[in-house]
Amino acid sequence: MKLDKKLCLGIESTAHTFGVGIVDFDGNVYGVMNDIYIPIKGGLHPVLIKEQHLDNFMDTIKKALSEANCSIKDINLIAFSQSPGLGPSLKIGAIVARMLSQLLKIPIVGVNHCIAHVEIGRLMCNIEDPLTLYVSGGNTIVSAYESGRYQIFGETLDLPIGNMLDSFARDLGLSHPGGPKIEQLARESNNYISLPYVVKGMDLSFSGLYTAAKRLVESNQYEKTYDLNDVVNSLQETAFAMLTEVTERALAHTEKKEVLLTGGVAANKRLQEMIEYICNEHDARFEVVPLKFAGDNGVMIGWTGILRYKVEGGHDISETIIKPKERMDKITIPWRS
Amino acid sequence: MSHEIIKEKLVQKGAEASLYRGLWFGKEVIFKHRVPKKYRSEKLDKDIRTARTLKEARALIKIKNFRINVPQVYEIDAKNSMIVMKYIKGEKLKDLMFKLDIKKKRKYFKTIGKYIAILHKNGQIHGDITTSNIIITPNEKIFLIDFGLHDYSDSIEDKSVDLHLFKRVLISSHGKDFKSCFNAFLEGYREEHDNSELIECNKIIKNITVIETRGRYVKKEDRL
Repeated sequence: MKLDKKLCLGIESTAHTFGVGIVDFDGNVYGVMNDIYIPIKGGLHPVLIKEQHLDNFMDTIKKALSEANCSIKDINLIAFSQSPGLGPSLKIGAIVARMLSQLLKIPIVGVNHCIAHVEIGRLMCNIEDPLTLYVSGGNTIVSAYESGRYQIFGETLDLPIGNMLDSFARDLGLSHPGGPKIEQLARESNNYISLPYVVKGMDLSFSGLYTAAKRLVESNQYEKTYDLNDVVNSLQETAFAMLTEVTERALAHTEKKEVLLTGGVAANKRLQEMIEYICNEHDARFEVVPLKFAGDNGVMIGWTGILRYKVEGGHDISETIIKPKERMDKITIPWRS
Repeated sequence: MSHEIIKEKLVQKGAEASLYRGLWFGKEVIFKHRVPKKYRSEKLDKDIRTARTLKEARALIKIKNFRINVPQVYEIDAKNSMIVMKYIKGEKLKDLMFKLDIKKKRKYFKTIGKYIAILHKNGQIHGDITTSNIIITPNEKIFLIDFGLHDYSDSIEDKSVDLHLFKRVLISSHGKDFKSCFNAFLEGYREEHDNSELIECNKIIKNITVIETRGRYVKKEDRL
């Protein structure tokens, strides 16, 4: 079939998602398939995630290929998530990528997961030089391109926002993922209870907020002067106001003209509303990455792999070792300089 | 002397506040108005704006005594979260970074280091030191502005965080000059401490690395 197009198969495996995406060198998407680990109880256990990825990777790749209506032999490039993330998850992605690359004798490229989130946003929203607010279960980062890198202007000092919301939901006995449930409950309340609001320069801290919200639920006033919906609403309002303020600070500081909202928490309508408000204030264009590509997926890895491959070529197998702790601002971006 | 208060034109729309130039009893002033942010809940919005306006005004008045250049406060309107302060003619350090030669920059950064050291020695934390919050006047006076995140503290940790935030801004916005400018800054910061205070000063500077390694995605071997 599409033999005239060069295709890249991207593998995302930094956390609970094993994602496969098939994308061509011009940025057209042919197949997207995700296998997501959902815990029966508790949080995300790295070893259990690894086992699920190991069981399902073949199936996920096959499904993505059949969606793209092509065979594995049509693939010209393999990209995989090399950093950052949970070690056991990253390993599976790297092993599968190396295996395919050597089996098919095609080049392999390692990709930073956070950079991939920004790049897929730029592609999908047709945006040139955005300030990005990347909010998910594993990351909370405000970044923008500056002197050859995606610089981090603000980030969380402790818990990522998605992690905080999920943990709180779990404490209340709600099942994973808790973010969407919190959004729903928060809509039922207009009552705001004061909670710790911690912004340090452009950095954020959520751990105190989490503890304070938990104390509200444990307090003897609970279900007397306020109920669960009020607590959840106050938690969400405080956390999102912090995110919005930090984004606005970074926007005023960098004077960028576009803002991109991405990551799993980008699906939250309330957060979208708040970020859109400050964009209007500063005459900046506001874009939310389409939900399908805002959460973890293989397409973003594939596309970022293509960008790097076009400039620098593939990586040597010896360079494909996983880097669970690599920060996005440590990596040069040759395709933008 | 004119007894009028005239709010003329919007000169800057910052992240937190809108700055208007105008006249206040014949004086050239800036009206710093922390405008309501409709994106957040009304109560939270009110709390944040009032707290920061008072914080900033108190800090400006206090810091004036430490031979550091900060704008003179003329009027505080906590209810409307507005401060009227002296207009400082000059350019933001952020914009000057692209124009000045490295020698000049180092000279400025050294002085800024001294200023921050004086603040810290007096238990004052700026809370948001960035190149946007430093103004250089035409006759080369350095003004510190924007004390909305100001705090009082004598702890090494809080002082280190202050320096750490500045370091981060330099890396992300002025990566090319970061090393030489930040070193000049630290040089000035150290110089301001006399021998008996040097141990504390070194602890503060050393603690920056500790804070960095506490951040996200720090490799195991880099952790302290």
